Amino acid sequence: MSDIPSIEMQDVRVVHSRNPGVTLIDEVGWVVRPGEFWVVAGLQGSGKSVLLETAAGLTPQGGGSVRIFGEEVQGGQRDPEEVSEVRRRLGLVFDGNGRLFPSLNVFENIALPWCYHRNASLADAAEALGPLLEYLHLDRLLDQRPGRLGRAWARRVALGRALATGPELLLLDNPLSGLDMAHVRWWRTFLSDASRGHAALGGRPLTLVAASEELRPLLVAGRQFALAHGGRWRLLGSTEDVLSAREDDGVRELLGDND
Amino acid sequence: MESITTTFSRSEVRRVGNRFAPALIEALETLTRLAAFTLITLGTAWTRFGQNSRVIRPRIVDEIHRSGVRLLPIVGFLGAALGVVFVGQTIALMQQVGASGFTGTLIVTVFIRELAPLTAGLVVLARVGTATVIELGTARALGEVEALEALGIDPIHYLVLPRVVGFTISVICLTVYLMLLTLGCGYLFAFARGLKATPGEFFGEVAGALSWLDFPLLAMKTGGFGAIIGLVICYHGLARSLTLEEVGQATTRTVAQCVVACLLLDAVFILLYLIA
Repeated sequence: MSDIPSIEMQDVRVVHSRNPGVTLIDEVGWVVRPGEFWVVAGLQGSGKSVLLETAAGLTPQGGGSVRIFGEEVQGGQRDPEEVSEVRRRLGLVFDGNGRLFPSLNVFENIALPWCYHRNASLADAAEALGPLLEYLHLDRLLDQRPGRLGRAWARRVALGRALATGPELLLLDNPLSGLDMAHVRWWRTFLSDASRGHAALGGRPLTLVAASEELRPLLVAGRQFALAHGGRWRLLGSTEDVLSAREDDGVRELLGDND
Repeated sequence: MESITTTFSRSEVRRVGNRFAPALIEALETLTRLAAFTLITLGTAWTRFGQNSRVIRPRIVDEIHRSGVRLLPIVGFLGAALGVVFVGQTIALMQQVGASGFTGTLIVTVFIRELAPLTAGLVVLARVGTATVIELGTARALGEVEALEALGIDPIHYLVLPRVVGFTISVICLTVYLMLLTLGCGYLFAFARGLKATPGEFFGEVAGALSWLDFPLLAMKTGGFGAIIGLVICYHGLARSLTLEEVGQATTRTVAQCVVACLLLDAVFILLYLIA
C-alpha cells in the first residue's frame, strides 16, 4: 500500500460553498492514510458535508492546502484530465438521497461512471458490475427511477455509483442517518467488509471517511475519530480516546449522553 | 433660464444614467461570462472530440430526438399554416398585381432566408429550451452537477456538448422540414385557388431565386441559432449556483436572451447578404 496520504489538509479553512465569506471550520489539519477508517463527527450545520466536499476537491477551501493522493486539485490552472484522474480514485456518497440523476434508472446511475471512464456500453457494465449489484442487493431495483426509491435504497444506489469505478478512498456523508435497523445493520457489515477488503468491492481494503451526526452508531466500526464542533477542528483519536473524552461537551452531545 | 435648463439636463442625464448604467453593466457582465462559457465549451469540444463516445453519442441522439424528432408534428402544423397564410397569399397577391415573376424572389427573401430559420429556432426554444433550463437549473440547485464532478465526469462534456450539438442539428433539420412543408402546402392552397403553374414550375421558380451562397449561409445561420440557443440555455442552467427559487427567473432570462441573440445573429447575416 502506498505511503502517500489519501487526504492531506494543512491549515484549511472550510468555507460555505455558496458564500465563501462564511467560515464553517477553521484550521483543519488532517492526514488520512491508506487503509484508515475515519469518523468525522459534528452536529447539523457544523460543516462536515462541506469538509468532505472540500476533501474531495469539489468545494474550494478558504485557505490552506488540500492534497488528494498527493495532488492539489483546487487553485491554479489544473488540467481537467488530471483532476478527473484523481477523482476517479475516490468515491463520495452524498447525504440524503445521494444526489442520484433522476433522468437515469438505477442501473444507468450506477453504470454511468464505469461506462464513461472506460468508454464502454451498458451491456459491458452489466457484466462487469454484476457482483457489486448483487452485493448491494440492488438486482430487483435496476429498472426503477430514483424518484421511486426510498431514502435507504437511494443511498445504497449512490453507494453503488461511488463504488462502480473501484475507488481507493470512499467518503460517506451521514451514511446511517434516517435508516431503519435492517439497513443500519447492512451498512455496518458493508463498512466492515470495505475496511477489511471484500471480493465484490475490488478485494483490497478501502480507505474510509464517514461523516456522522452521532458517534455511537460508528463507535465500534470506526478506528480514528475527529470532531467538528463550534467552528473548530479536533482530532480525538481511537474509540478508547473518544470514550475517555466523554466529559467534553462536544463529545458528550455527539454520543447522545446529554439525555 | 439657460442655467435652469442646464441643471435640468444634468439631473435628467444623471437620473437616466443611474437607471440604465447598472442594467448596462449587468448586460456586459452577462455577455462576458457567456463568451467565457462558449470558449470553455468550444475548448472541451476540441480537446475531447470523440472521447467517451459510447456515453456521449447516445446522449446527442437523445437530444436530437427530444429537440428535433418530437417537434416534427408542431413544426409540421406551423409549416402548413405558414404555407396557407404566407406562401398561398403571396402567390395570389402577386398574380393579382401582375408581378408573378417576383413570387420566387419574395418567398426566398422573406421566408426561406428569414422566417423559416427564426421560426424553427423559436419553436425549439419554446418547446425544449425552457424545459432544459429548468432541468439543468434544478440539477445544479440539487447538487447533481457536483455529483457528476465527484465521479470525475466533466459536466461541460456530459451535459453541455450533447445539448449544443443536438440543438444545432435539430434546428438545421427542422428548418429544412419547415421550408419543404410550407412551400408544399402553399402551392396546394394556391393551386386550389386557381394557380395555373405545375409543381415543377413553382418549385423551379423558387429554386431559381436561390443563389449558391444561400446554402452555406443558411446552414451557418440555422446552425448558429441552434448553437446559440443551446449555449445560452446551458449557461443559465449551469454556469452559476442557483437556488430552486431562482430557476424560474433564469428560464425567463434565457428566453429573452436567446431571442435577442438570434435576432442579432440574423442581423449579421442580413449584412452578409447585403455585402454579397
